[in-house]
Amino acid sequence: MNVKKVIETKKLSRVFKNGEIEVRALTAIDLEILEGEFVAIMGASGSGKSTLLNILGCLDKASSGDYYLDGVHVNKLNKNQLADIRNGKIGFIFQSYNLLSRTTALDNVGLPLVYDRTGRFKNPTEIAIKALKQVGLGDRMYHKTNQLSGGQQQRVAIARALVNDPALILSDEATGNLDSKSSIDVADLFVQLNNKGKTIVMITHEPEIAQFSKRIIYLRDGKILTDEIVKNRSTKESALQDLEISA
Amino acid sequence: MLQLFKTFKVAFQAINKNRTRSLLTVLGIIIGVGAVIMTISAGEGATKQIQDQISGLGTNLLMIYTKTEHRGGAHVRMGKPIDKRDLEILQKNSVWLTKISPLVVDAIQAIGPKGYKSTAIYGVSHEYFEIMSRELYLGEVFKEDDVKAGKKICVIGETIREKLFLESDPIGRQIRINKIPFTVIGLLKEEGQGTMGQDQDDILIAPYTTVQNRLKGTQSGYEMIMASAISENHIADAKIEATELIRESHRILDGDENDFDITTQIELQQITGNITGILTILLGSIASISLLVGGIGIMNIMLVSVTERTREIGTRLAIGARESDILTQFLIEAVVLSLVGGVLGVLVGIVGNHIIYKLTNFFIPTAMYSILIGFGFSAIVGIAFGYFPARKAAKLNPIDALRYE
Repeated sequence: MNVKKVIETKKLSRVFKNGEIEVRALTAIDLEILEGEFVAIMGASGSGKSTLLNILGCLDKASSGDYYLDGVHVNKLNKNQLADIRNGKIGFIFQSYNLLSRTTALDNVGLPLVYDRTGRFKNPTEIAIKALKQVGLGDRMYHKTNQLSGGQQQRVAIARALVNDPALILSDEATGNLDSKSSIDVADLFVQLNNKGKTIVMITHEPEIAQFSKRIIYLRDGKILTDEIVKNRSTKESALQDLEISA
Repeated sequence: MLQLFKTFKVAFQAINKNRTRSLLTVLGIIIGVGAVIMTISAGEGATKQIQDQISGLGTNLLMIYTKTEHRGGAHVRMGKPIDKRDLEILQKNSVWLTKISPLVVDAIQAIGPKGYKSTAIYGVSHEYFEIMSRELYLGEVFKEDDVKAGKKICVIGETIREKLFLESDPIGRQIRINKIPFTVIGLLKEEGQGTMGQDQDDILIAPYTTVQNRLKGTQSGYEMIMASAISENHIADAKIEATELIRESHRILDGDENDFDITTQIELQQITGNITGILTILLGSIASISLLVGGIGIMNIMLVSVTERTREIGTRLAIGARESDILTQFLIEAVVLSLVGGVLGVLVGIVGNHIIYKLTNFFIPTAMYSILIGFGFSAIVGIAFGYFPARKAAKLNPIDALRYE
């Protein structure tokens, strides 16, 4: 079987220099993520998971090593090309949603299309509406962000990450600000999207959320500690049951 | 192109989101542009009014007077006074001058039946009225014979009439000027305030012979000789000719300097034009300082806006905005703010000019170029003061910006 590699890193390292002090945030990361995978990256704070996500998301560049995203050798790109890669190939989801305030859900979702330079989206509004329906917010399109609950806001953010049909969805603690019930909803949404073929990489420190994914990578001190397939995946139902038992 | 259009939309959305703040920011520009337009227009209006008054001063006027010099703060006469001999030479020989009148001035007190007034009396010839284009409202002016005979008659202005006679008709009645009885034969048409704010109706005009003999008691000379050139095109010729004639009369040798001066109406217009021009520039530059302050206001608000929206900028960068997209967005916001201020400022300026006209009757035509200056400046201010905050926004590191609290 010949499945496309969405992410491929070779000896990826990132060193931060703060005056005289050098901090090695990542050391020689070799990572391959194939199309259709759903990966959770875990680790204590300072383990390098955010740094890794920033590099995978083309927000930051590696100090050494190579990174191929969907076949593109990212190391060689300049700032504008990186911006275009983020716009075309990546969908970001943040812990604090990062939606535009006092702006409708629809306008928020359509934002990535504003910066599209390829002209591949003929009907931006229709595409944005479709993305909102996909996350179950078809009836909240013209609500402004401050009129939505946290879970709804995060779903708007997920719709925004979907709207440009990215090769990779990157989630940075997407459930960090949500209550358990909403967290399960978001995790379940990820599963549904993954079932439709989306490649998802998410950072989380909640094991019960990571349990929804297909593969869990543990980082420690900037290195991959373990990389395991999830055997007993959670579903929405099982997670809700666990929630009731613990309550 | 499409990208620019989309960026425009984004900028407008951002301005609309902070309506109150945008309006307050714009206020500085409105005031600045309005002030520039109003001050420049006021300067232009004053210039036009002064020019009109000078051209209303007389017909192709020339003034010939003894050269004076500042010495220790006082005007000191240099050389021979302008006198009867000069007058006669001009009258006899001049080709380019049509009307000629001496001017003798004396400070006097005039007493009428209902009151008195201290003022100046102008001793002139019968041709003075035509030279200065002064018309009568009542009665008549004095004739050549009256001047020759040195009759004790006078023509008065409206201010004098009011003081000396209150409401009644002054023609044919007697007044006392320095205790000497004069008969009023004419009343001048009202002219109102002059260029320098003097009252042009506070005037007594009598034959210069009478003023010299009866009031001054001397025939030593005139304050000046006033004359009309035969046409506007020949004012310069008339000046050259008069200079020759007076030099001859004063027996000035070739190569020696004139001991008199001749000023023409055109020169007067040029001088006042220069003065009011400088005034306009001065006022305009003071007004443009407020425009500068308005620009700093825009920069200030844009900087606050960039800080406040750091997370937003981070998000935009993360989802694929290029630095140039962010730069243009913020630049457009600043320029739109200042242009909106510019448009409103132009309106404020035009309306303001109209209000001043209604209140003071001082007509200020809104100068077209002041609108261009005001509007152009506001655009420049927007770009100049918007660029720094916009660059700051564009150069933000997306990772830091996303985490900004």
